[in-house]
Amino acid sequence: MILRVLQRLNPDPAAVCGSSWCRILSTCSRVLQQRTGPGSGSGRVGMNVFNREMKRRQKDWSSSLTDWGQYDYLREEVGSHVADRVYDVARTFPLALDISGGRSYIAEHLSKDIVERLFLTDISEKSLKQRRQSEIPTKCILADEEFLPFKENTFDLVVSSMSLHWINDLPGALRQIHQVLKPDGVFIGAMAGGETLYELRCSLQLAETEREGGFSPHVSPYTAVTDLGNLLGQAGFSMLTVDIDEVQVHYPGIMEVMRDLQGMGESNCAWNRRSMLHRDTILAAAAIYKEMYGAEDGSVPATFDILYMIGWKPHESQAKPAKRGSATVSFGDLSKISQPTNTDKT
Amino acid sequence: MSGSNVWSRSREKMRLFPELFAQCTMEATAYGKCVAATTTSRQELKKDLCVKEFEALKTCFVNAAKKKGR
Repeated sequence: MILRVLQRLNPDPAAVCGSSWCRILSTCSRVLQQRTGPGSGSGRVGMNVFNREMKRRQKDWSSSLTDWGQYDYLREEVGSHVADRVYDVARTFPLALDISGGRSYIAEHLSKDIVERLFLTDISEKSLKQRRQSEIPTKCILADEEFLPFKENTFDLVVSSMSLHWINDLPGALRQIHQVLKPDGVFIGAMAGGETLYELRCSLQLAETEREGGFSPHVSPYTAVTDLGNLLGQAGFSMLTVDIDEVQVHYPGIMEVMRDLQGMGESNCAWNRRSMLHRDTILAAAAIYKEMYGAEDGSVPATFDILYMIGWKPHESQAKPAKRGSATVSFGDLSKISQPTNTDKT
Repeated sequence: MSGSNVWSRSREKMRLFPELFAQCTMEATAYGKCVAATTTSRQELKKDLCVKEFEALKTCFVNAAKKKGR
C-alpha cells in the first residue's frame, strides 16, 4: 500500500536520482512491519526483506573457501542457459552489463562478436577477484544491484543470473535496469523463484512444529512466476518472455543440501530469519526430509525453480499490436468457414 | 578467523552428522512416517506428537556418536 502512495507523490520515480528514491522507500519499509512467510510470496511484500550487508559477507565468505569451485554447479548451469538465450537474439551488443555476476558465469559462453564490451558488477569484491576467464574485455565494478551507478540509455544488453532473488526492491531494481538500457535494448535474466527448495522448507517447518511447538522461516521468500510478468510490465519492459525451468539436484541428506547452499553463497539473509537451529530440530528435519522426499537410492532431492525472463525496452522498430478498429475480418466469420476452399473474406 | 574456535569445532562435529544419521535409518523412518502422517490425515501436527519415535531416534544417534568418539 505504501508503495502505491509513493508512486502517486512522485509519478516518474525513474527520473529521480536512483539512490534518493530508494532511500525514501527504505524509511517507509521500517514502518511496514511485514513478515514474509516462507512460502513463494511476491518480491514486493516488504521493501526491506533482506540484509544486503549480510549477503555481501556471505558471498565474501563463500569465495574465501578453499573448495569454492565445488559449489558452482548451479550457477554454471543457469549461466550457460542465459548465454543460450543471448545467442538466440541474433544481434551484436556493443556494450553489455552483467548485474551481480559474481565470478561471471555468462561471459565465458559468449564470444566477442556477440558482446563487444562487458561491465561486471557485484557487491562482493572477493567474487569479482575470482572472475572466470572470458575473451570479452571486461570491467569489474563493485556495486549494489539496487543502486546501479550508470547513466540512462547506456547498455544494449543487461543480463543477470541467480541474484535477483536477494533484492529488496525488485520493482525498483527492474526499473533501474530499464533505465540504463538503450531503447531497443534487451534484459535477459534468471532468478530462483516459485517453489525453490520447498522440500527443505517443509521439512524444517514440520520438524520445528513437532519439536518446538512453532516455526519460523528458514528459506527466503521467492517471487511467483505469475508475478514476474506483472513486475516486468510495470517496469516498462515490452515483448516479455517468462519461462520456468525446474532443476532437481540430489543430495545424500539435508546436511549436504544446507552445506552446499552455504558454499554457493545462497545462505538466508532475510531480516526475519532465526539465527539458530536446534540440534533436535536438525535431527528431526533430516528424518522427515528423507521419509517424505527421499528417493529409492537413499538420496534426497532439492528443487530449484529457475525463472528465465526476457524483456525489451520499447522502440519504434518493434512490432506493436494493431490499432483498434483496423480488423478486416470478423471472428464471427469463423463459424462460416466449412472447408478451406470456401473461405470468403467479407 | 584462523585457528581452532567454537565455530570451526562445531563445524567439525556437524561433519559427522550424515555418518551417524546413516546408522539410525529405522528409527528415522519411524519418526518420519509419524510426522508425515499428519500432512495427509486430519490430525494437526502439535508439539511432541511423535515424541516417542523421536526419543528412540535421538538415543540411537547419541549412541552412534559415543561409539564413534571412542
